[in-house]
Formats: sequence, C-alpha cells, structure tokens
Amino acid sequence: MRLLLLPAVVVLAVFAAALGALFRWSVLEFIPGSLQTGGLTLANFRAVLAPQYLGAVRDTIVLSALTTVLTLVCAYPVAYALARTPSRWVRSLILVLTLAPFFTGAIVRTYAWVLVLGNTVVTWPVPMLFTERGVLVGLVHFSMPTMILILAAALSHIDPVYERAAASLGAPPWRVFRRVTLPLSMPGIVSGALIVFAWTLSAFPTPELLGGGKVKMIANVVKDLGLDSFNWPGAAAFAMLALALTLALLTVVGRVSTGRAT
Amino acid sequence: MLRAAVAAQLAFMTLPTVVVIAVSFNPTAILSFPPAGFSLRWYENVVTYPQFQRAAVNSVVVTAGAVLLALPVGTLAALALERGRLRGRHVWASVLLSPLVVPGVAAGLGFLMLAAALGLLRSRAVLVAAHVALVLPFVVRSVWVSVRNLDPALERAAASLGATPWRTFRRVTLPLLRPGLFAALLFAIVVSLNEFVVSLFISNRVTEILPVAMFTYVVNYTDPTIAALSSLFIVATFVVVWLADRYLDLGRVFLQH
Amino acid sequence: MRSRLVVTLLLALLTLPLVPPARAQNALVISVWGGNWKDTVDKVIGKAFTAKTGIPVEYEVGGTIDRLAKARVAKGNPLVDLNFTTTHVARLYISDGLYDKLDMAKLPNSKEIAKEAFRSDFHIGSWAYVYTVVYRPDQVKEDITKWSDLWKPSLKGKIAMPDFDPSHIITIAALMEGGNEVNWQKGEAKLKQLKESVAAFYSTDAQSQDLMKTGQGPVQVMLSVNAYHLQEQGIAVKVVQPTDYPGIVGIDTMGVMAGSKKADAAHQFINLALSKEIQAELVKTLRAGPVNLGATVPANLKGQPGIFSTTAEWKERGYIMNDEARAKNLPGWREWFTANIVKK
Repeated sequence: MRLLLLPAVVVLAVFAAALGALFRWSVLEFIPGSLQTGGLTLANFRAVLAPQYLGAVRDTIVLSALTTVLTLVCAYPVAYALARTPSRWVRSLILVLTLAPFFTGAIVRTYAWVLVLGNTVVTWPVPMLFTERGVLVGLVHFSMPTMILILAAALSHIDPVYERAAASLGAPPWRVFRRVTLPLSMPGIVSGALIVFAWTLSAFPTPELLGGGKVKMIANVVKDLGLDSFNWPGAAAFAMLALALTLALLTVVGRVSTGRAT
Repeated sequence: MLRAAVAAQLAFMTLPTVVVIAVSFNPTAILSFPPAGFSLRWYENVVTYPQFQRAAVNSVVVTAGAVLLALPVGTLAALALERGRLRGRHVWASVLLSPLVVPGVAAGLGFLMLAAALGLLRSRAVLVAAHVALVLPFVVRSVWVSVRNLDPALERAAASLGATPWRTFRRVTLPLLRPGLFAALLFAIVVSLNEFVVSLFISNRVTEILPVAMFTYVVNYTDPTIAALSSLFIVATFVVVWLADRYLDLGRVFLQH
Repeated sequence: MRSRLVVTLLLALLTLPLVPPARAQNALVISVWGGNWKDTVDKVIGKAFTAKTGIPVEYEVGGTIDRLAKARVAKGNPLVDLNFTTTHVARLYISDGLYDKLDMAKLPNSKEIAKEAFRSDFHIGSWAYVYTVVYRPDQVKEDITKWSDLWKPSLKGKIAMPDFDPSHIITIAALMEGGNEVNWQKGEAKLKQLKESVAAFYSTDAQSQDLMKTGQGPVQVMLSVNAYHLQEQGIAVKVVQPTDYPGIVGIDTMGVMAGSKKADAAHQFINLALSKEIQAELVKTLRAGPVNLGATVPANLKGQPGIFSTTAEWKERGYIMNDEARAKNLPGWREWFTANIVKK
C-alpha cells in the first residue's frame, strides 16, 4: 500500500531537485555576463540588503500587508452572504462570479486591469496604471476569490444558532456581528489573512504588468535578475528569500488553523 | 446594507471582465470603452497569429501530458494516504501539497537551473515535469476527499466474491471515486492551462505555452488582441464553472468539509 | 481489449512532449525588438528574403539590453544568427566578441548607402530615426517647438521619459550648457531641474505608447518611428523638429553573431535589407530614415523628423552622438540617471 506513494515521491523528488538547484546557485559567486560561477559565497544574500533591492523588499511587504487588510474588508461581506444565504440561486451567483476569475488565469485577469486602470473606462483623477495604487487594486482583486472562499468556509462552520440566540436576547445586528460572528470567525480571518499575505509576497504577473517596471516586488526582481540580466546567483538568493518568507508565514497558518483535515 | 456591500464587491470583481470583452470588439488599436464600433479583427488576429497557434499546440500537449501523469500518480498517492496506515500521515500530506506553497518564481527559476544542468533547456518535457508537480496537490486533494468517503466494505465484498485486487480496483474502487477524479481532472486541466509564472522561466520562444505567449504579446504590443484572447478564456471558464456548479453543486465542495 | 487500447493511446500521448515541436531546422534566426519593429522586419525584409532564398525566418524578440544579456550567456554557441541593435550597444557586442567581421564582398548593396551608416567593420546601419519631443496637442494646450520647452513650468507633471537609455536627454542637457556627450557632467544641474516635471518613466516601447494613449505622459522624448506608429493607430501626436538643438539621431544596425552557422544567409539578409527597394519599403512602413541614399522617399515624408534622404540632411538635421563615448558612458549614465532623476 505504501508503495503507491512511490510515483508521487518521484515527482516531488524532481521538484525538490529544482529547489536544490536554486539553493546551490544562491551560494555561488556571480560572474557578470556569463552563466559561470565562482566559489561559495554569501554575497548574493548580502546583495538583497543593497539599497536598490531593499526597496523592493520593503515595497513587497507593505503592499502585501495593505492588500491583505483591504481584501479582508472587501471579502468579508461576500463571504458572509455566501455562507448564510438560504437561496441556492444567490449562492450559485456568488460562487460562479468568485470562482470563474480564479480559474481564468493570471494574465487574463491582470490584463483586464491594464485596461481599466489605463483610462479606458474612466479617466482617473490620479494616475493609476504603472503606479503602486494600481498594483494594489490588482492585488486585492486577485486575492478576493481566495479570501472569500476561506472566510466562507470558516463562516459556514459557525452554527447560526449562536447568532439567532444573541438576536433573540435583543442584540442589534451590528452587535451580533461584533460580539458573536466576528470572534467565532477569527480563525478563518487569521488563516485567510496569512494565506493571502503569503501568496501576495510572491505575486508576479500583477506587479509586472500593472507596475510597468516602476513597482517592483520580490518576484519581479527574481525575474529581472534571472531572465534579463542572467544573474542567476542573485536571482536565486531572492527566490530563496521569497520561499523562506512564505514558509515562515504558512507555518504560522498551520498552527493557527484548527479543525482542518489537510 | 449587506446586500449593497455584496453587490458592490461582486461588481468590483466582475467589472474588468466586462471591460475586456467590450474592448475586444473595438475596431481600432486604441483601447476605448464603450467600443467605438464593432469589429472581429482582433479575434481574427488571435486565430491567425503564428505564435499563438504554436503556443496553443504547446499548451494542449503540455497539459495533456501533465494531466495524464498526475491523475494516476495522485490517485495512487491519495489511496496510500488514506488506506496506507502511514505513520506521520499528516507530514506526508504536507509534503504532497508542498508545491502549492513554493513561490512560482522560485520553482520556475529552480526548474530552469535544473534543466540547464541536465541540458534539457529546449524541450517540453521540462514543462510537463514542472506542471505535473504543480498540478499534483490539486489532484491528491480532490481524490483524497473521495477516497475518504469510500466504504471499504464494498471492496471487501467484491474480494470476497472472488475478484482479484486489480479487478476490484477497476470495477469497484475507480467508479466510486468518479466524483473526486472528475474534480481532479477539472482542476488539473485548468491549473495547467493557466499556469504562467513557472512556465515563463522554463519556456523559450518555441516551447512556450499560451499564457506565456500572451504575456510576451502584452509586453510588446498595445492593441486589443489580448482582450480578444482573454474574452475567449473568460467565456470558456464561466461556462465550465457554471456547469460544474450545476452538476456538482460547488457549494458543497467549498463550504463543507 | 478496450481498456488496453485506451492505455496504449494514453501512453502514446505522453510521449508527445518529448517530440520537439515543429520548427524549421534551417531557419535564419533574427534577434530584434518586439511589437511593430519585428512585424515590419518580417513583413518588409523577412518575407522577401524567404521568397528569394527559400530560407524561413524566425525571430527572437526583446529589449536592447535583454538581448545583449542573452547573447552574452550564449557566447560561442549563439541562439540567433543575425542581430538588430542600436549602433552604440553594438559596440558592447563587439567588445564582448559577440560579432563576426562583416564580409563586405557579400554586401554589394552597401556601396549605395550613406557614409554615416558604416558604423564599423562589424556592424552596419539598417535605418535611422531621431529621438525628439513628441506630444499630444489635445492634452497640452501650448506649442512645443524646442528642447528647452521641456523645462517650462507649464509642462510640470506631463513628461514621460525612458529609464533604460537616458543618452539623449543627457546629451541635450549637456549641449545646452556648452558641453556634449563626452563632458556630459556640465548638464547635470540642468537635468536635475527637469526632475519635477517628469510624471512617469517607461521601460519599454509598449509602455511609452500606453502612457501616450492614456494621457498619463502626454509629452515624451520619443523615437520618431514610435511616434509615427502612434499616429497610424489614430492617436494625434505632434513630432517636433526642435529649433534650438537637433534631434538625437539613432541608427539601428545589423550584425552577424560570432559562431553562427548561417553566416552566409545572414549576409544575404543584410544585403537585401540594404537594397533600394527594401529601403524604400522600410521608409514607407516604418517611417524611418533610409540608409540607402538611392531609396525613394515619398513626398509626404520628405523633411519629416528622422527621415534623411540626402548626405546634407544626415549632417544637418540630426545630432549623431559619438558611438564609443555613448557605449562607454551608458552604464554610468543609467546609474546616475536612476539615482538622481528616476528615484523619488
């Protein structure tokens, strides 16, 4: 029975080998203009702290945090409606509108924002395309489906009996929300927030297309170094950084989220 | 008030889609909304652009390969996870789901480096290998749900009637796993067809799949061709998701465990 | 049995990815900028070349510096055969040993080209243009007629500039202060004055066009060819023939990659590109200036910025920078520009 795992292990071994190659390159010295390398060095990681790159790291963290907060605020009402609505029709509508973008692919979704932010529909009072505001909008939009589904799943686990009890005791709706629903949904909020934060840290297509080279997040730096300048050691160091941040955050998610089977 | 908030959010999520579809019919290269007229020239461009044609073929080949490999591998893994009486089952589960956690650029760059070391840079085999790894978590997860709901009594009954393990698997287990397998197939196809970040790193001009070709186009041209291609994707996805909801009741899939 | 048949079919499908995708093995691979640059090279030269020689043509697209980086990595085993790049970046290819000397015997058409188009033993001009001020009259209510207009306070927040090659604005600022591209530091203070007027920087041709289309950057230092392309797409832009200092000339060039196995075909391509007829087509399609003095320039394009048709025009209507100085200074310029002008 255990042998059945073998093919999967092979696949994952290949994946692990790829990550191994990444690690190896991150500790090799970069020789500009070629794919040859010098000896072992930590210089690539030190370069991460260089002013031009530190800005990208800082921007990534700030943008990811802002995205998480905004997505949470925007997604909560939709998740609540999704979990609580008695109408199959409403549930279907929300699900289709939430899932379809999720499955359409990054380029399609991001390109749509290139159009909207590019003064195609309305001329924005402030520049949106190729700015941080624009990237933020794109990132929030990108994370909405994930947040909605996680929150909705958490909310659907809350027995409505509690809310009804509080209401029957005379609490107004917003109070029910603040004192009953919100606290009970906290695990969902926390895991949703952490997952969105972790994924946004490594966001690539959104800042690439909407940032126009001006807004750089960690993933964009990896691509610039890896595919444009061919500084593979430098790119690898940044990629390892993104990986480490993501792993750290998701470990926290694992600790926080209770009652999940997988 | 809740209704207003929800409506506003749903509008926010759907607005770009509407704009894309509208712009795709614009007769000129200027992106304007509402469109200044009606023209199918960008759709024509999509279908006749040689790089898109080549990329579409690559997409089909790579996705087919990845799905054909990931489905059996993932199914076997799901069976092993549920039935295998493994110590540290949750560790194994985490390992199997781990590709989901790795940032796309890290995986992409890593695969590029691995391929370079093996001298495989120009083949679609690398793309397939990467896609299998990326799609596997979705397959394992979907099939595992079905396996957990599988009553072993049915398989024991078949065995007690004299069926060989292989026969039991084919005639009893697999059919019972159909919902999970179907979901796995759907996820695998959608994830692989839309995979962009990792594929960007390991494709070249000849092997690139459709999303990568679209990205290259967007970066080099400013006409609505991608709006046309996007509209095709959007419509196809909406139809698929709507159908999935009708027949699988997605509410059950996502809202309860 | 049916299931065995299915399994066999599936296994057969699996081997598909291992089959290399259909591509012409004997194609001439050309490295060029994307968008309408590649389209034009393909339409005007590529198709004619294939019709004449039967050799198919494929293209690698990318930005100027990206393609240089890729070429460096592939040194000795080039992935492309023929390379289009700007005349000064070509110097970087040459100093890296990435180009082979051109065999002039194989380029008879070169006898008809302007002297200025002979850049070195390794690279030869294909067409010319100018970097000049381009703006949207519907978004900018005043006339812009000279380079120094860019410094006008009324244009604050309306200017977009490239961030990948600041050669031209640096040179203009230097010229304004009595210097030139060699002692360019003379223009540093003037450039810093321009900083607040810049609304955005673009990293690609497509972005520059986007900024013009959306109105975010209605005044730009732009390549004349890209400006004409915008006009073709229906965006009314005005291309300025500045009255104080000339536009900065850009000459795109062709070179043969060292180690290419298609050097012969590459030379044939270059020769074809230099011919009168192809050059005339390039002028019409690209609205670039021809290098072949015998190429017909349509009346409506004569005298337009970037389109030179006589030896005199080459000398007078554009400022041709010193290639070597430009190539040598470029990295330093980019660094200075990024640190002092681009960074907030």
